[in-house]
Amino acid sequence: MPRLRLAALFTIVASFMLAAAASAQQNTTIGVSLAQDDNPFYIAMLRGIRARAQELGWEVATVSANEDKLKQINGVQDLIARGVKGILISPIDAVGVNAAYDAAAAAKIPIVSVARGSTSPNQTIHVAMDEKQIGRDIAEWTAGKLGGKGKVALLMGPSGAPTFKNLGDGYAEVMAKYPGISIVFRADGPLTRERGIKQAEDALVANPDLAAIYTANDDVALGAMQAVNAANRKGKTLVTGMNGVPPALRAVKEENLAMTVELNPVEWGRLGVDVLNTFLHGSKVEPHVFIKHVIIDATNIDAKLPKT
Amino acid sequence: MNYRSSLAGQIPLLTLLLLCAATAFLTERFLSPLNLTNILVQSSIMAVIAMGMTFVIVGGGFDLSVGSTAALAGCVASMVMLDAGIAAGVIAGVFAGALVGVANGLIIAFLSVNPFITTLGTMVLVRGIVFLITGGAPVSGETGLPGAFVAFGSGRLFGVHYLVWIPALLLVLLSFMLHATPYGRRVYATGGGREAAYLSGVRVRRVIASTYVWCGALAGVAGVMLAARLQSGQPTAGEFYELTAIAAVVLGGASLQGGEGTLYKSVIGVLIMIVLGNALNLLNVDSYWQRVAVGAVIIAAAAAERLRSRY
Repeated sequence: MPRLRLAALFTIVASFMLAAAASAQQNTTIGVSLAQDDNPFYIAMLRGIRARAQELGWEVATVSANEDKLKQINGVQDLIARGVKGILISPIDAVGVNAAYDAAAAAKIPIVSVARGSTSPNQTIHVAMDEKQIGRDIAEWTAGKLGGKGKVALLMGPSGAPTFKNLGDGYAEVMAKYPGISIVFRADGPLTRERGIKQAEDALVANPDLAAIYTANDDVALGAMQAVNAANRKGKTLVTGMNGVPPALRAVKEENLAMTVELNPVEWGRLGVDVLNTFLHGSKVEPHVFIKHVIIDATNIDAKLPKT
Repeated sequence: MNYRSSLAGQIPLLTLLLLCAATAFLTERFLSPLNLTNILVQSSIMAVIAMGMTFVIVGGGFDLSVGSTAALAGCVASMVMLDAGIAAGVIAGVFAGALVGVANGLIIAFLSVNPFITTLGTMVLVRGIVFLITGGAPVSGETGLPGAFVAFGSGRLFGVHYLVWIPALLLVLLSFMLHATPYGRRVYATGGGREAAYLSGVRVRRVIASTYVWCGALAGVAGVMLAARLQSGQPTAGEFYELTAIAAVVLGGASLQGGEGTLYKSVIGVLIMIVLGNALNLLNVDSYWQRVAVGAVIIAAAAAERLRSRY
């Protein structure tokens, strides 16, 4: 009896296959695999991807990874099986998901990294921020405000993360040109507000006349800003951020945060689609495409605040 | 075995076939050779973990530490491999996994600490050790893991990935062990009723401890496979794998009360989870809805298990 049922099931499966094969159609889809699907940065990036893809006539298929590298590889494989024409990926890690790039290359599908990048030789193009240049720009802005002299503290990112090392290197490179500016404090750590408070407190205790605090990220900046205000150093110790998240923009408006850098994730998504689209239409694209960044301070904050 | 229970016993397989049929109906790409091999590779690592979990669950226990253990094994294997070669790395990784299993087994069987609490503890503790030995950074050396090991992670034998051969081979060996030897019968007896097993002469503590060693060692094997797949030892790898593995084993018809469960059905449980994810991806279902669907399937499977045990 069960055997009969199994046979019946196989018949059904086979007929489904035929029906499905008959409905095969032209595929004009690009696949998207972001590192997370519940992080505001990636949600906004996906919004940009969808909008630009629609303008250019692409359908978008997404797979989620949620910081699980194996899941990201699997998702990219699913996209390839689905027959997408190209893939936009924000790899969780520079090495861990290289198998996804290999799979895309084996299927001759271009794979473009957006924001985070990969060491894989099969990465077609990397759309990235120019980390060193952002670091330099923050440093030039700060040095300008300080009139070329003062003590500076650096609250860097997690140790070993190349993005934050590049940012900090760019910053330090520019500051080295100003003999009046000295870097008196430098610490790595996670990108949290709590850590920003703690390290800024320590930096201020060690150097009560601190003129500026560089932070690798807005969350750290918001913590540092709390410490500066608690020490009654508002306006005397400049805190700079990076990312342009809404709470940081409000802090710039309230003059608690001196400046931040806008990395508009919607624009990242749009640029990613543009780059992939250009490539798919046969034009040559440089292996590294930089997204432009905008410094936000008191002079342009009103235009950048989210409309309410 | 009567007719009803033999049919009920095929629920996991029927579910899988139905799921495949429905997906094949909705998208022609599902049955493409590429996608089918993808499904097998995607299932391979979780299948190994779920087999180990089956030992523990059949024996009446529970293991939350498998994800951390896999991460430990992957990182240990990668670190040793960079210094002492691939073979030493693989052995060290599996051994590290087995060691976690020994610790779990001793604490649960001989100190009679609740398995949920014990393995919750080792889950956190082992993850801590992984971060300590790696400094929190992925392990891939200056120039990456040895080329042969990386090639193993994506290479094929007779058209099927090496990573798929491992669970296939293990399934045959372990099925024999669990379903056809006196040792296997002792595991079922212990899980089915500890007192009765004890009174009929089974050394229940040893049997219970042994199931955790199997589970740890298999999590170790999975961790080494994971390192090959990720081309690096990843300290954050394997998070939430314990929950997927437990769900898969229950989907395969095992009872969380112990004494019931079959290795090949647990593998079918893994295939159901993977095919479900694959189908939702192929059909471009929104990722938030995917979470809802996966959660609903887990609850439905548990409910089916309860209904079945009532008759």
